[in-house]
Amino acid sequence: MSLAQEIFASALEISNETEREAMLQRVCAGSLRLRAHIDELLAVHAQADQFFSNCMTGVSALTNGSPASQRLAEGTDHNVGLRIGHYKLLQKIGEGGCGGVYMAEQQKPVRRRVALKIIKLGMDTKNVIARFESERQALAMMDHPNIARVLDAGTTKTGRPFFVMELIQGVNILEYCDKNHLDTRQRLELFVQVCHAIQHAHHKGIVHRDIKPSNILVTSHDGVPVPKVIDFGIAKAITEPLTDKTLFTTYGCFIGTPTYMSPEQAEFSALDVDTRSDIYSLGVLLYELLTGKTPFDQKDLMSSGLDEMRRTLREREPHRPSTKLKTLNAEELKATAVQRHIETAKLQLLLKGDLDWIVMKALEKDRQRRYETANGLGMDVGRFLSNEPVLARPPSRCYRLQKLVQRNRALFSAIAAVTLILIAWLGTSTWLFFKEKEMRNIAEDAQKQAEQARQNEARMRREAEARADIAQAAVMLSRGRLVEAEHLVGQIQVPVIEPSLEAVGVFRTLGDWAASEERWDQALIQFKRLNLADQVDKSEITDASAVDLLRLGPTFIAARDIPGYHHFVDNGIARFSNISNTIASEQVMKVCLICSPPDAKLPQLASLSAVLTRSINETKPGQDQLMLAWREFSLSLYDYRRGNFNDAIRLLEKCLASSSYLPERTAMAHFVLAMAFYKTKQIAAARSELSQGQELIRKNCPAAAGKISISGMTPESTVYWYDWVIAQILQREAVSLIQG
Amino acid sequence: MGEVTLILQAIGQGEKCTSEDLIPLVYDELRRLAAVRLAGEAAGQTLQPTALVHEAWVRLVENNAQEWENRAHFFAAAAEAMRRILIDRARRKSRLKHGGGQERVDIEKVDLADSLPDERILLVDEALERLKAEDPEMAQIVVLKFFGGLTNEEIVAITGKSDRTIRRQWEYAKAWLFKCIQGL
Repeated sequence: MSLAQEIFASALEISNETEREAMLQRVCAGSLRLRAHIDELLAVHAQADQFFSNCMTGVSALTNGSPASQRLAEGTDHNVGLRIGHYKLLQKIGEGGCGGVYMAEQQKPVRRRVALKIIKLGMDTKNVIARFESERQALAMMDHPNIARVLDAGTTKTGRPFFVMELIQGVNILEYCDKNHLDTRQRLELFVQVCHAIQHAHHKGIVHRDIKPSNILVTSHDGVPVPKVIDFGIAKAITEPLTDKTLFTTYGCFIGTPTYMSPEQAEFSALDVDTRSDIYSLGVLLYELLTGKTPFDQKDLMSSGLDEMRRTLREREPHRPSTKLKTLNAEELKATAVQRHIETAKLQLLLKGDLDWIVMKALEKDRQRRYETANGLGMDVGRFLSNEPVLARPPSRCYRLQKLVQRNRALFSAIAAVTLILIAWLGTSTWLFFKEKEMRNIAEDAQKQAEQARQNEARMRREAEARADIAQAAVMLSRGRLVEAEHLVGQIQVPVIEPSLEAVGVFRTLGDWAASEERWDQALIQFKRLNLADQVDKSEITDASAVDLLRLGPTFIAARDIPGYHHFVDNGIARFSNISNTIASEQVMKVCLICSPPDAKLPQLASLSAVLTRSINETKPGQDQLMLAWREFSLSLYDYRRGNFNDAIRLLEKCLASSSYLPERTAMAHFVLAMAFYKTKQIAAARSELSQGQELIRKNCPAAAGKISISGMTPESTVYWYDWVIAQILQREAVSLIQG
Repeated sequence: MGEVTLILQAIGQGEKCTSEDLIPLVYDELRRLAAVRLAGEAAGQTLQPTALVHEAWVRLVENNAQEWENRAHFFAAAAEAMRRILIDRARRKSRLKHGGGQERVDIEKVDLADSLPDERILLVDEALERLKAEDPEMAQIVVLKFFGGLTNEEIVAITGKSDRTIRRQWEYAKAWLFKCIQGL
């Protein structure tokens, strides 16, 4: 930066006229021209600012909400009257960092008014919608008078995501309180309701992530104010798992104001955010309701840069609310007190003590030290309101006595009579002893309940996140982003992933890919999950899930997990030994016999062998030769494993003579035939078959890394790599039998 | 793979390409997007540079290239392309007005004027040319912020300057340009 720029910028930062003049005189000493130049610029600065902000509507996400840009945005909105899906936009009701909010009329299936929020571009719509869909079930479960429900989400014609919410005709909670001069008690009563709403959502496993005054609207029902929390689930849907890279595009718009952000949220390790982050934001809200200020000034936070902002949120202790009041200037303080119907001195006194502690406990940097639940916070505020001891600090004897006196002021002044002091002292101390015990019990119970609730929440949240991750992985795979998808899926830590077509597709593609690169341990992980996803709600085997068995079986052996393979076979026999689907029968038979099973298991495959025999006999010449040859092969393998070598030889010779030629099946047939010849002492024939099979493997086997093409989510387009793996396993068995 | 991606990769591998090479491609896409947006939504709809530039990124590159360095080159080019589009439209519109012809203006030509009055844009651009002669770095910031609609964070990533420097230069540039416009 040039000298002139430095001086100009520094001058702007000094608001005091005399100080500014002194600085300019000092640094411009000796250069009248420089001084004149700076003065000229300073003179037009305000006008220039106005000129450019008029030119640039919606340009700067960070400064948005400034009066000038808002006026312009409202004046020039042409979306009104537009139709988006089933919704007709009626009127613009708000403008946020992320886009506009409209009152809209829903036309189908019911005619009603809703709020429709359109998100600005600059983000991946598909992912937003996918993430929203994955949370939808959870959102639908929320039903609370203080929560505005999110009803729907979709995409405009031009690709912008939008959300549809219950329409709330209300104002921001802070505005409401200030406008109506609510006193502190009334403010706290509203706040307690907000806590209950948040608790309800937490109970369903949903974290709001963006609690701030503009997301809490107050409406009036018969003169009674009712707060409504809006935007549930939206922050989650539109916040990418943040890294410093994505931060640049999403920062201004989607994280919103850092003022209400918990320290762990500011770290941007988004997965680590849990319900206790909402508790922090509630703490900030309470702080603002009480003092009119946030713990950290928004301007200070935003102007200091990201790292500094994180450091502040992580390390700096904010003032207690009562101390904060002392930092205000006389005018501000007076205004704050007037809005709360109280004298300034009394307001300070009111906040000092209990309310200070409650707020500071909610604002703890270490989330383990915050209130464990929103209810806990709400209840403590409730205790304050009814003059009961709050849990926010370990109660001292003197403190409890003070509370007792407050609650029973009349009684205590009556027994101030000297003669009663002794009796009263005895009485109260006994009473206090029991009271203290009771308080301890209450605190312990609350802690236990909170712990249980949090575990429940954590589980539901993990499941919701797993769903979101699967949806995201599916999108990545559809774009060929295999490495990222594998990494993402690898982080999922839910034992059973709910079955969905998406999940099945994701595991299948990732498994095929890992197998194509011969990373068998990874392939095994994916196929095991695939198998679970296949079987959760299906009793009947389908062609597709039978092929998935063919993926998993050989992968066990390739990954050298032989006990795992035998366990898999036991399971497969138990589930599928009585099926009648001929295609699946052939595949189950084959996959169960890749290795020699214990003799006891073989009779259990009799039913499958009957299905295959009947199908072979019923196949007419010229009909379905491909499947016929496979059935002959699988049945021959069954005969071979049972010791019926001659039956096996007969079937294999038929199979090898088939008009439908597949190199992998032919290789398998050569190996089994070689072993059958060997067992019947035809050594020369055995060696000849073995070498023919080996030749086929050498020439055709594509299993070397990179030769299998994996493209997106279409398993059909992949080579049947698992058949080649089975052929190689049989080759190994034949070689060790015949050659050594 | 799109041409844009190829150029971005070439830049990434240190070959002799510059953001300049990208401008014509991004320019076409931005113009097309602007037209589509206008066709799909109500007449008089305003176009916001921020939205257009980000949408162009999603369409042209997002699938193939992820590195921020590439993004930076792309956004720098997009801001410059956006500037040319805005100037073209402003010129065309002000010719229409001053040409004394009928007030019949078709939809395609009025869009941006609503949020960015064309006369002003032309003035800013003229002043910007002069600023460029005096301080090209600062002029670059104006292009990114004013025409590209980029946030300070994004500009930090593109220019490598600190957030504070950008804010200070922007303040200075505004006053400087305004003074210059007054003298035009």
